[in-house]
Amino acid sequence: MVEFRNVTKKYANGTVALKNANVVIDKGDFAFVVGPSGSGKSTFIKLILKEETPTEGQVFVNGYEVSSMTRREVPYLRRSIGVVFQDFRLLPDRNVYDNVAFAMIITGAQPKEIRRQVPMCLALVGLSRKASCMPNELSGGEQQRVALARALVNNPSLLVADEPTGNLDPENSWEIMRLLNEINQRGTTVIVATHEKSIVDAMKKRVIAIERGIIVRDQQKGLYGNEYKNSSIFS
Amino acid sequence: MNIRTVRYLVKEGIINTYKNKIMSLASIGIVFASLFVFGLFWILLINLSYNTEVVRSQPEMQVFCEYELDDAQIDQVRQQILNNPNIESCKLVTPKEAFDKYKKDLGEDADILEGFDESLMSASFIIKLHDTEISAQTMEDLMKINGVRKVSYSKDIVDFIAKLSRWVNVVSFVLIIVLMSISTFIIANTIKLTVFARRKEINIMKYIGATDWFIRLPFIIEGAFIGLVGVVVSLIILHSVYGASEVKFNQELLAMRMYFIRLVPANTAIFRMLPSFLLLGAGVGTLGSVLSLRKHLKV
Repeated sequence: MVEFRNVTKKYANGTVALKNANVVIDKGDFAFVVGPSGSGKSTFIKLILKEETPTEGQVFVNGYEVSSMTRREVPYLRRSIGVVFQDFRLLPDRNVYDNVAFAMIITGAQPKEIRRQVPMCLALVGLSRKASCMPNELSGGEQQRVALARALVNNPSLLVADEPTGNLDPENSWEIMRLLNEINQRGTTVIVATHEKSIVDAMKKRVIAIERGIIVRDQQKGLYGNEYKNSSIFS
Repeated sequence: MNIRTVRYLVKEGIINTYKNKIMSLASIGIVFASLFVFGLFWILLINLSYNTEVVRSQPEMQVFCEYELDDAQIDQVRQQILNNPNIESCKLVTPKEAFDKYKKDLGEDADILEGFDESLMSASFIIKLHDTEISAQTMEDLMKINGVRKVSYSKDIVDFIAKLSRWVNVVSFVLIIVLMSISTFIIANTIKLTVFARRKEINIMKYIGATDWFIRLPFIIEGAFIGLVGVVVSLIILHSVYGASEVKFNQELLAMRMYFIRLVPANTAIFRMLPSFLLLGAGVGTLGSVLSLRKHLKV
């Protein structure tokens, strides 16, 4: 599903964000990617989404060899991945329904299919009654649930979430995690980059810890790790 | 990209034009102003070339008698014309024949002759010369004949109009380049502002798998739409301005008995400009969008 093979990413300014990373995330896995700011977590996610290209090594995602893929192929890779961001990234001038439907429209989906699929995803995230609301009329938790519905609407086999609870209170954070867990239970591979120690520790999923660009730990049913607990950036 | 998606993107482009209405209106205004000025020159060209043909279709040399001459006087004029050694032949055109021919030439515009009759025309003679090299001298001699009002020699007029047309052509060409460059620049700026205003949205589209063309097409449609609206507005205004002056001008010319010169009907002129205007408008709009997208939309 996702494989990093000897991946090194060095930016133009000389920063080595990831160094000789080797990791395999299989279909149906739920993996947390943890580490302090600047550790290489975001680069890890960006490499999966082909926002960055590795300096060395290969990245495989959903059968695509991402590292050598052309610009033209990138949209098709991204359609096979559901993405959720910390800042929700909803289209501000479209209502909830249209935000979710938009992800299907760009794939050229049939209107009938859109009318069937969008309400189903909104029901899954518990927002059926808010379909006609605009994003600015929703709470942060609700906006993130819309983003989650949008990420799921094309039935992706992989869902990538970059700090999905970073802007949410604990109650909404848990709701999002519960949904991610439910989505994973249905067979979707889920990769979550996060700072939330309490969530990682409570969920007991696979933990990939990155520090200074090096994968220092890859542990099934892992914890966040005591080594970061004194850092001020963690809650 | 399937038809449904293209239809969706066209709709998006037009909605964007509306959302961005102030800048869109400014761009439409610039396209309109450019095409209006260009259109005026083009109408001048159309009329020059039309009148060149009209003059060219006239006999090479024609001698027009005074209006009040009777048949005997007309025959006298004819005799004197034939006395000129450079005249090969001389054929009489009666006022009625001249009026009927003019009516026929006017075609759909013949209604401007309503209220007029053959007294509008004078008798004339169509002349063939032995030697066209000395046409100027012959004209001078013929003008001296009693009862002759005017002598026209179409070759001179054709040469003059051809020279004038060449200059108008050059000026129009330079003008269209300058005006269209300004329009392209303004449209490019409008689209640039739209791209800037929607950069977050574009970023989101990229993340959820929109192709480059899916992102670009609405902007291109927006540019082309601005161009086309500019075309339509300029053609409507050109039609009403030129249409009104054409009818008045033609009536004035007729009243002055200058029936060799007339303006092309507005419908004909506008219809002739339509395809090129549509191409120019859509082309300028599309080019403006593509230029700004290439620079400001790294998709």
